[in-house]
Amino acid sequence: MFNALEILGPGLFGDDAKALWFPDQASTYAAESDGTYAMILWVSAFFFVLVLGPMIYFTFKYHKPKGGKATSRVRHHNLLEITWSVVPCFFLVIMFVRGSWGYLDMQTPPEGTRQIDVEAYKWAWSMNYGNGAIHPELHVLLNEPTKLVMRSKDVLHAFYVPAFRIKRDIVPGRYNIVWFQATIPSEKASDEELDAALAAHKESGDATWNYDKYQITEDGYRYYDLFCAEYCGRDHSMMQTYVVVHETQEDLDAWIKKISSRGDTPPAEYGEKLYKLRNCVGCHSNEPNKVVVGPTFHNLYGYERPLQSGQTVVADEQYIRESILEPKAKIVQGYNPQMPSFKGQLSDDDIASLIAYMKSLSDRGETASDAAQANDSTASEGEAEVAGDDQPAAAEAAAN
Amino acid sequence: MAQTLEEAGHDLDDHDHEHHENLAHHFDSYEQQFDAGKLGIWIFLVTEVLFFGGLFCAYALYRNLRPEIFAGCSEFLNTQLGAINTGVLLFSSLTMAWAVRCSQLRQHKMLVGMLAATLSCAAIFLGVKAIEYSHKWSMGLLPAGLYSYDPLHPHHPDAPNYLLYISLPFALILVGVVGWLAVAFLQGDKFKVRVLMPLSVAAACFFVGIGLGMVLESGGVEGHGAVDVDKVAHVHQTGESPELVGAGEQAVEAIAPDDAELTGLELLARDKSNPGAQDALEALATQEEVARGTVLKSEETPMPTASETVPINTPKQAGVFFGIYYCMTGVHAIHILAGMGVMVWLLIRAVQADFNENYFGPVDYVGLYWHLVDLIWIYLFPLLYLIG
Amino acid sequence: MATGAVPAQSGGRDAGFVSDSENYLKNSSGLLSWIFTLDHKRIGVMYLVGILSSFLAGGLLAMGIRWHLMSPDGLLFSNDAYNQVFTLHGAIMVFLFIIPSIPAALGNFLVPVMLGAKDVAFPRLNLCSFYLWLGGAFFFVGALMMNGLDTGWTFYTPYSTSTDTSVVMATLGAFILGFSSIFTGLNFIVTINTMRPPGMTWFRMPLFLWATYATSIIQVLATPVLGITLLLLIAEKTMHIGIFDPEYNGDPVTFQHFFWFYSHPAVYIMILPAFGIISELISVHSHKGIFGYRFIAYSSIAIALLGFLVWGHHMFTSGMSQVTVIIFSALTFTVSVPSAIKVFNWVSTMYKGSISLTTPMCYALSFIFLFTIGGLTGLFLGTLSTDLHLHDTYFVVAHFHYVMMGGTMVAFLGGLFHWWPKMMGKMFNETGGRISAAIVFVGFNMAFLPQFLLGNQGMPRRYATYDPEFAWLHQLSSIGAFTLGIGLLTAGLVLLHSLFRGKQAPANPWGGATLEWHCTSPPPFYNFKHAPAVGDPYEFANVEYDSATDNYVFTDLPRELVPDEHEPAPASAGGQA
Repeated sequence: MFNALEILGPGLFGDDAKALWFPDQASTYAAESDGTYAMILWVSAFFFVLVLGPMIYFTFKYHKPKGGKATSRVRHHNLLEITWSVVPCFFLVIMFVRGSWGYLDMQTPPEGTRQIDVEAYKWAWSMNYGNGAIHPELHVLLNEPTKLVMRSKDVLHAFYVPAFRIKRDIVPGRYNIVWFQATIPSEKASDEELDAALAAHKESGDATWNYDKYQITEDGYRYYDLFCAEYCGRDHSMMQTYVVVHETQEDLDAWIKKISSRGDTPPAEYGEKLYKLRNCVGCHSNEPNKVVVGPTFHNLYGYERPLQSGQTVVADEQYIRESILEPKAKIVQGYNPQMPSFKGQLSDDDIASLIAYMKSLSDRGETASDAAQANDSTASEGEAEVAGDDQPAAAEAAAN
Repeated sequence: MAQTLEEAGHDLDDHDHEHHENLAHHFDSYEQQFDAGKLGIWIFLVTEVLFFGGLFCAYALYRNLRPEIFAGCSEFLNTQLGAINTGVLLFSSLTMAWAVRCSQLRQHKMLVGMLAATLSCAAIFLGVKAIEYSHKWSMGLLPAGLYSYDPLHPHHPDAPNYLLYISLPFALILVGVVGWLAVAFLQGDKFKVRVLMPLSVAAACFFVGIGLGMVLESGGVEGHGAVDVDKVAHVHQTGESPELVGAGEQAVEAIAPDDAELTGLELLARDKSNPGAQDALEALATQEEVARGTVLKSEETPMPTASETVPINTPKQAGVFFGIYYCMTGVHAIHILAGMGVMVWLLIRAVQADFNENYFGPVDYVGLYWHLVDLIWIYLFPLLYLIG
Repeated sequence: MATGAVPAQSGGRDAGFVSDSENYLKNSSGLLSWIFTLDHKRIGVMYLVGILSSFLAGGLLAMGIRWHLMSPDGLLFSNDAYNQVFTLHGAIMVFLFIIPSIPAALGNFLVPVMLGAKDVAFPRLNLCSFYLWLGGAFFFVGALMMNGLDTGWTFYTPYSTSTDTSVVMATLGAFILGFSSIFTGLNFIVTINTMRPPGMTWFRMPLFLWATYATSIIQVLATPVLGITLLLLIAEKTMHIGIFDPEYNGDPVTFQHFFWFYSHPAVYIMILPAFGIISELISVHSHKGIFGYRFIAYSSIAIALLGFLVWGHHMFTSGMSQVTVIIFSALTFTVSVPSAIKVFNWVSTMYKGSISLTTPMCYALSFIFLFTIGGLTGLFLGTLSTDLHLHDTYFVVAHFHYVMMGGTMVAFLGGLFHWWPKMMGKMFNETGGRISAAIVFVGFNMAFLPQFLLGNQGMPRRYATYDPEFAWLHQLSSIGAFTLGIGLLTAGLVLLHSLFRGKQAPANPWGGATLEWHCTSPPPFYNFKHAPAVGDPYEFANVEYDSATDNYVFTDLPRELVPDEHEPAPASAGGQA
């Protein structure tokens, strides 16, 4: 319906939004947003010239020395007034309608949209891809709609990706939704460029990866900026993350797998990370004699547990594994059967890491089953195909 | 500007003193002055309406979002005291309107009397309010951040005597005014006596209000006291409000009342043939239930993590009602105090016989203000006290 | 029609000069005579001093911001300090400068004089308003000196309820300032309603008074809502009432609704008086009656009323429902029409006029240029789809600076230059004045045009540091800002210089026809001994330039009685008002 105007818009400026100083049109609705902008710009330019032209002309033409008199006494002209009241309305209606339609498109995610949970907090981002894969960067699939369910841990934030032309506030106390479909894949930098950047990073000793300097992510992708666009305090301007658009599902899956597996991190350390990330800490403390909801992990491993049924068992690897997957099977005396199951949410390696962590919290942790534990770890390390680097991003996510 | 006044006034001799008195120099006539003042006070009242309007908006918003909280917490407000306050304020509007009439007819003594009556009614209102407030504070019924109400121990044992603190300024005023009156009487200063006598009466009426409040507060059923544990369990199992999430998984801690804390209502309810008391007890139990809030979740629930199936119980939910209650009645009370202050000024001028049929604007304008304050209370009373 | 004769003042059609004993600036001396004055003109001057001081403070903070932003990592402040600087810049500029500026500094002086009245309806309330303004200013200074303020001038929750800067102090200051605004508005409404002279019907009022009236309506209706919002914010922060803070089950978006319900009409409080000034400036300096008087008058009232319906356009991204958002967008477009009507009428006024490129006229033309850009860029923000990209970016910053600074401030300066001779009795250096207008114009555009581009690129606002790709536009903007500062300084110096070295001002240096030009410059403390005869405020045919005194005088228009066939010819044809 707006084709005629679109000729004027992007047509005249070409497809390149650079003429209007816009970023890449990297989403399905970016072009329409830019087209609307261009239309408004043309109408505005027209009226600007219509007003300022005569104004400047009159200034010079009717400039008279002091004491000169006006040569017209006309003080009103109803037809003129009505004309210039009504004609602009016509343009305004077009702007309003086009803007509303574009907006409605940007509001309604299509069927079957994949979902990513976004958590914003002072002053970083946490994208939750499910199954414990949490990372500050936002990775999405090309040509597939993605829906973000966003919440804030503390104050107002806002999700803003200029390249997608989308913005939405993130309000604490509720969930706000935004969706988009990326249309331009993120280029992958050449191996030389990536190696050079990694080397420079190592040499510089920076704590965090310097995206602005290298213009690629740590995995070698070009990216789009994701800004926080609602003032949130001291480091509001630094609350920035990056969007990477993967060309293929396999590519995306590989990255997600990479951030969610342990890699080179020692099992006990990874276990502690999971303890916090998967919120075991919400119910189980790791301090002596401190009970939150369930039993403390301190001195749990290797000790005897009196069960509600009257039996007594020793908390070994099997017991812990069962408690994670089938929590209601064995309930310790004095506690309620309220722990949810983590079946399907933790890999074998994850569970092994958790066990390693619990062992580190117990003075009975150094037992004969250590050997079996060591075999388990090396076996799973050999399986996982890791890029061979450390996982600073995962560590960052865990540090929150 | 003083020069112009002199300019205008010196043309006339003292006999016309009254004619140009009280006509400001920048007005051409008494009529213009009165019209200007009238328009001015009406505009001011519009601003007050908008000011309170924001509060009523907040009330509407939160009542709409959490109706059960509002209905439940309204039980804590003593309807009788509220009704008395309403009557008192209505009467004060009558006396104020009468005062305007007196000022127009140069009935100076009656004017003073009416102003004093209005002041007294306002003082009674504040006295009753003092009782209401201090009682709630001692129960911990405060806005969300300070809320500390405990259904098992409704009256905090260590609570400071809030009533004393609130009454102290008024007591000081009473003592001051009476003392000054005594001094003026001994000195034979008739003017001061004529002013301070009515003011003493008004100041004393604050304590009349306190007395009224004390009498009615103790006999009222206010939703505190221990509840029957069976009733509570019954409500928990069947009467869950729709907002509770995942409560089925979670066994709620049972409330074990102390036998020594059984109230009169509790004793009455043991008599199974007394359905009224049973109903009242159940209502109390339901109210307990809703006074514990939970976090509302939207339909869009992301993938659940382990922690999120545990509902969050917080008594702070009730705090939003009390926050709005204190804001609305508190701001209203501030307006009452301001009105009282202005009325004292009017009273002094009335004793000076300042007002006449040409110049009674100030009384009229204060009257309008007072009617608005009364009107706002007329809205507040049903919205806060009579819901649920 | 004004014959220009101010009876008893002088023999001719020129009010002449005022004696020191009657000059309102000199009729009583000493600090106390100013502190307790009830003379609206003195109150206006006190406001002027206060407002210009606040403008200086806010302006210095702005210079700090622009200097800091010349480098992507920030040149001057830590992030915390920067956040405080931009917050205070906004708060001081909005609450202490722009909202009171024209009504309080110019309006207080002009409204009674334009009405031929001796004072406003409630002089003591007027003085009270000034002290409330001063009190509010002290609270802001107090907040600055205690823990500062870093919430942004919009005080969004829950950041404002959780930060430990002096939010309570600052919001109390804003609360008090609100009352100053309300009482000023109240005073003007009553004055204009009840103290118009005989013959001045509504449609014979100068348009500045129409603008002031419309502004006062907004002040009276909208500001109380700000008052209660700030009070609730203070209650939330201190007592945790649980209304705005999600920690206590409140809703942050509710705060935004409450806040913008006032703050959007507030921007019309800022711009409507400016529109009034421009109507006066364009017509006087074109020596031609304003075109479309009734349309301009009605459009002021329309803007005042429609302005209450559009607050949601500040919240398009907050997660409101689709229907709500679309309704607000539609209403936002309606409110743009009356402003456009005014602009067209002003340009039409210039057609076939006799244009003098005086300093006030330079500022007025500057206004039309800058306000048009500002208003048109508002369309991008009112359109939903583009707003999702541009909201909370530098595009918005540029837009509101164009309308508030390029609009209100430029009009304020134009009005200040226009009425300076009347208020102070001194003529300023015209060349200096025009140079200031030119530097301000150039500097302003250089400062803020690049910011539209920054917004397009996606640069968010309230950022202490930024990505390097935005650097050169920021640097350009900063250079423009410094230029703008120089221009404003020039304007200030020109005016200050006139107080010491300026020529004595005649009664009517520009050839205006409204009542204030009928009294001396400056006016006597009582304004007019008797209310002057009221004529058409935009009739310039009988305003003649007297080159000997560089002054305009009022003459009689030739009047002829139409001869009646049945009666002898009339004895005289003479001008009688």
